[in-house]
Amino acid sequence: MDKLLQIEWMKIKNYRTFIILGLFFVLGVVTTNYIVYSVNKNVVGEINTAGLVPSFNPYSFDNTWQTTSYVTGFLLVLPVLLLIILITNEYTFRTNRQNIIDGLSRQQFISVKLMMAFIMAVICTLLVILTGLTFAAFSGSSFSLNKFSHVGFFFLKSLSYFMLAVMLSVWVRRTGFAIGIFFIYMGAENIVSQLLDVWSMKIKRDTGLDLGSMGDYLPMNASDGLLTFPDNPLKTITKSVMPTEYTWLILILAIVYLAGFVIFSRKFFIKRDL
Amino acid sequence: MAVLEVQNLTKDYGPVKALKGVSFSVPAGTVFGILGPNGSGKTTLLGIVMDILKATSGEYTLFGQVPTERQRKQIGTLLETPNFYHYLSAVENLRIAAAIKERGVEDIDQILEVVGLSHRKNSNFSTYSLGMKQRLAIGSALLGNPDVLVFDEPTNGLDPVGIAEIRELIKRLSQEGKTIIMASHLLDEVEKVCTHVAILKQGNLITSGHVNDILVAENVVEVASDDLDALAAALQGYDGFSRMEREQHSIKIFLPSGVPDLGRLNAYCFQKGITLSHLQLRKKSLESKFFELTS
Repeated sequence: MDKLLQIEWMKIKNYRTFIILGLFFVLGVVTTNYIVYSVNKNVVGEINTAGLVPSFNPYSFDNTWQTTSYVTGFLLVLPVLLLIILITNEYTFRTNRQNIIDGLSRQQFISVKLMMAFIMAVICTLLVILTGLTFAAFSGSSFSLNKFSHVGFFFLKSLSYFMLAVMLSVWVRRTGFAIGIFFIYMGAENIVSQLLDVWSMKIKRDTGLDLGSMGDYLPMNASDGLLTFPDNPLKTITKSVMPTEYTWLILILAIVYLAGFVIFSRKFFIKRDL
Repeated sequence: MAVLEVQNLTKDYGPVKALKGVSFSVPAGTVFGILGPNGSGKTTLLGIVMDILKATSGEYTLFGQVPTERQRKQIGTLLETPNFYHYLSAVENLRIAAAIKERGVEDIDQILEVVGLSHRKNSNFSTYSLGMKQRLAIGSALLGNPDVLVFDEPTNGLDPVGIAEIRELIKRLSQEGKTIIMASHLLDEVEKVCTHVAILKQGNLITSGHVNDILVAENVVEVASDDLDALAAALQGYDGFSRMEREQHSIKIFLPSGVPDLGRLNAYCFQKGITLSHLQLRKKSLESKFFELTS
């Protein structure tokens, strides 16, 4: 795998799109978190001077883990874009064929792409940890690893996103197509998910049956649903009408979907003509 | 030992049958031409052998073994189009190919010299002309000095000088004892370099074997004199030709393959009181032979 990763690195290290999108992502993570940080400090904080609700800082420990994970989650589309471009490029340049002709096995080719997706998820997660720590350092609160599980949820979410990107890329093979399908699917799933959530609330109100937020049982929302903005004191009031979050169920589903993406990526690449 | 052995290979693209049970074998040390018109299944066949296409049925072996990526590493292949990373230079692209083949990078400079790309070795692939791309692809196949080379339409996009260079290269590689499998629709390319040939037509293998056995060309002798009618009449009595064709200013007679005795023909005519103003030996064109085989 070492050798295969070195080959992948040779392919991308001088690729301008890779460098630019990578930089955009890092800058985006820092700026977006900074915007949320400063809005909370300067806008929400100011309004709340009356002290109607207890003060709340999303970037103090332990909230920082949850907040950075949640906020950074929105920016995962950038590495998704990058990953789709990198993989569909192989089809555009027909280098996927040439790599096999030159002596990679099909298994090796797809495995190293999946490994790249995994490494990207690790890097994004490290970035979340670093950002979380940095912003929390300004909050004056003392270090804590409570709610660090959200960083784990973020890792799962980035894995899901990236493995879906790999699967879409080897499935449809064309850059524009793959990116288009990714965004259309995300949009469609979000709409369906919200409808399902409302339906869950209705069922709970009418029958008392608590099925959980069913919207979170869909492939991308499973890993999304685990990441939420820290509950500010106002939000707890609405909680009683909301269905329960069955974290364990969503977690299992997220892992099942993830496995599905990996299995289908391999299947698509290994079985089909290139 | 056969470098490549193909058994009953079939490939369907939906209703289209690209290969219909093709079998042949490529002996080591030969220059093996796979010949056929466009769409006859040449590239499909080589694609299956290189594992980028999945055969519908049938089998093949490389070096007498069940093929894996290990065998492919020992073969330098150019299949259909030059496939490289557009945003990388020739050298960077060859480094990647060498890494995949598990070969050293020492011979990259020398290879770029051989294919005539040294002066542009650090330019991005995207800036190359069609011919330069083709040259790089041939160079990539030469990496690590493999014993077996597969060239699919190697002279695609090359100028006449480039075509001659590649022919010389193939001949030289063959003299070094390498096995070369070459797909082409250009007959004279095959005629000039190949020792063996397989002919495909619409997915069927028409014939395969030694090039001299398959592409036997009849001798055509063109003769003319001042009085063509008298010449034609006199030639009726000449033995050893299969047929005769009268043209506007000459007569063609078809002799069996082998070295024809033009002296005897000349002497015969002279004996009959006819002085030849024109006597020329022409090989029957390979093209007409090819049309004959594939139509």
